[in-house]
Amino acid sequence: MTLTATERAKTIGRVLAGLLVALYLLAPFSWLVLTSFMHERDALSVPPQWIPSEPTLENYKIFLDPTGTRAIVGSRAAAQMLPGMLNSLIAALGTALLNLVLGTLAGYSLARYDFRGRTTLLMLYLSSRMLPGIALIVPLYLVMKTYGLLDNLAALVVTYLTFTLPFTIWLLRNYFQAVPRSLEEAALIDGCNWLQMVAKILLPAAAPGLVAAGMFAFMTAWNDYLFAVILTSTMAAKTLPVVVAGFATDVTTERTLMASGGVMAVIPPLVLAFIFQRLIVQGLTSGATKD
Amino acid sequence: MHRAYPKAALPDSARQGALAAPTKALTRVGYERPGFAFLLNTPALVALILLAAYPIVSSAWMSLHKYSLKRPRIFEFIGLENFRQLLDSDEFWSALWITLKFTGLVVALVTLLGLLIALLLNRRFPGSSLLRTLLLIPWAIPPVVNGLMWQWIYDSKVGALNGLLVSLGLLSDYRGWLSDSTSALIALVWADVWNLVPLAVILLLAALQRIPDELYDAARVDGAGPLQMFRYVTFPWLAQALLIVLILQTMAAIRAFDVIYVLTAGGPGNATTTLTWQTFLTTFESLNFGLGNAYAWTVSIITLSLALFYFRLLFRRGEFET
Repeated sequence: MTLTATERAKTIGRVLAGLLVALYLLAPFSWLVLTSFMHERDALSVPPQWIPSEPTLENYKIFLDPTGTRAIVGSRAAAQMLPGMLNSLIAALGTALLNLVLGTLAGYSLARYDFRGRTTLLMLYLSSRMLPGIALIVPLYLVMKTYGLLDNLAALVVTYLTFTLPFTIWLLRNYFQAVPRSLEEAALIDGCNWLQMVAKILLPAAAPGLVAAGMFAFMTAWNDYLFAVILTSTMAAKTLPVVVAGFATDVTTERTLMASGGVMAVIPPLVLAFIFQRLIVQGLTSGATKD
Repeated sequence: MHRAYPKAALPDSARQGALAAPTKALTRVGYERPGFAFLLNTPALVALILLAAYPIVSSAWMSLHKYSLKRPRIFEFIGLENFRQLLDSDEFWSALWITLKFTGLVVALVTLLGLLIALLLNRRFPGSSLLRTLLLIPWAIPPVVNGLMWQWIYDSKVGALNGLLVSLGLLSDYRGWLSDSTSALIALVWADVWNLVPLAVILLLAALQRIPDELYDAARVDGAGPLQMFRYVTFPWLAQALLIVLILQTMAAIRAFDVIYVLTAGGPGNATTTLTWQTFLTTFESLNFGLGNAYAWTVSIITLSLALFYFRLLFRRGEFET
């Protein structure tokens, strides 16, 4: 097919606009990544060095060996990096799992049953999703303090439920509604009990929704800073954002270390986002707009 | 034609599920068993009552008391005194004004940029699907890392922004972008916008892709130009998604915390002290839990009123069965 001159001009225009958008999306992050492979003196050079002249892995190795010679300045933060990452992983995975269990139960009932108070429940879930975290933090802090739950990963996970569960329920409800009732009915008539039907028919049929919901919960927990910084204080439960923010507010921390720390904190959500691109887009759209 | 994302698997079948005539009682588990339905909701409800309802009520209760961690033994009921103090203070009005400016700028920029990018991505051109993937980068970056990244870009001594502008000859000397009130607010807005734009693009793009191509063909036959097509075809189909983006981004901007913490800490002076940041300062710096909770409630009331609009939008189409 030959393109007319206008069509070609349009395509060129779009590609140019696309390049501009790509630059906007990529430039800030690329600089972070590139810096994480620089030596400190190169990172501090004026005018800035864009491409590392002698790329190094030192800024990542230090996390594995935080007592090494390189670690004089940022030793404390560097030593907290891997434990913080582990804490974050546990918190985020725990949040995702709990979300899926509780969200499946509630989401299913809202998708399938007509019962009194159903609308009220939906509104309740939606409104709790709208509450600003800053409004809940003081009472939660006091409760956790009273019961000795500060600095406790499990308590943190349960807290994250507040912000993730309403969205999960809403999202799963939408996905469950898309599963034809006839599938469920066939299974029940064939002699499955309800739990078997859920395990064998419903969940596999709604798998994309479960993956999407689990991932959003994971990311919300992984990204949280406000709750983590108030409710945790030691490496028993400190999560990665708290460790990384510690880099940022500590003027003595080396720039290159901040960069590699930042990159480490981005890797898990970014990898998930790339793997599940389609599900994310579908889930975000469904979760925010009903369909 | 231009559908690289699968049209969400949901819409049509979802309506079937929701609207199909209710099947009468099934064997063992019917669709009309309220007791069972409530049972399924119990775990979620218990969690939310403990973790959302209790705290918000408790926060309201504290806001009616004189309560400071500096003197933790005093817990004295003072009615609306904290709210009176709040409304009388310069801090509140300054924070409210800064919140308005910050939110207004963030929402305007996110919506505008989001719409432009979505309109571009709705067309197919070489690299367009790669661009859709790149969109996920700012989306996936934790706000704390986002703040850290921009803090460094804005740095007055070695920052990339200074370096770039000076080497392009647009700036003669390095500037402290975060030490001037006006540029600090704009810098903060820009950093937050970068993080928020992808969600807007995704929602708007999904709405764009739902517009039937025939409408454009018909408009073209009728001799409509690009602007008219946008006005009479695209915009009406986009209106709802645009409103949802506006509301969600407004709420996100009002509760912005991490990025402020890392990037400006409310400064210089109080140039970027929004209501959320002021709540944090009052509570955790001044340890005034009474007044802090009054601030928290003020923020909640503002957010929840916005949420009401959002609900109305979601439920407006009448397909929401009660």
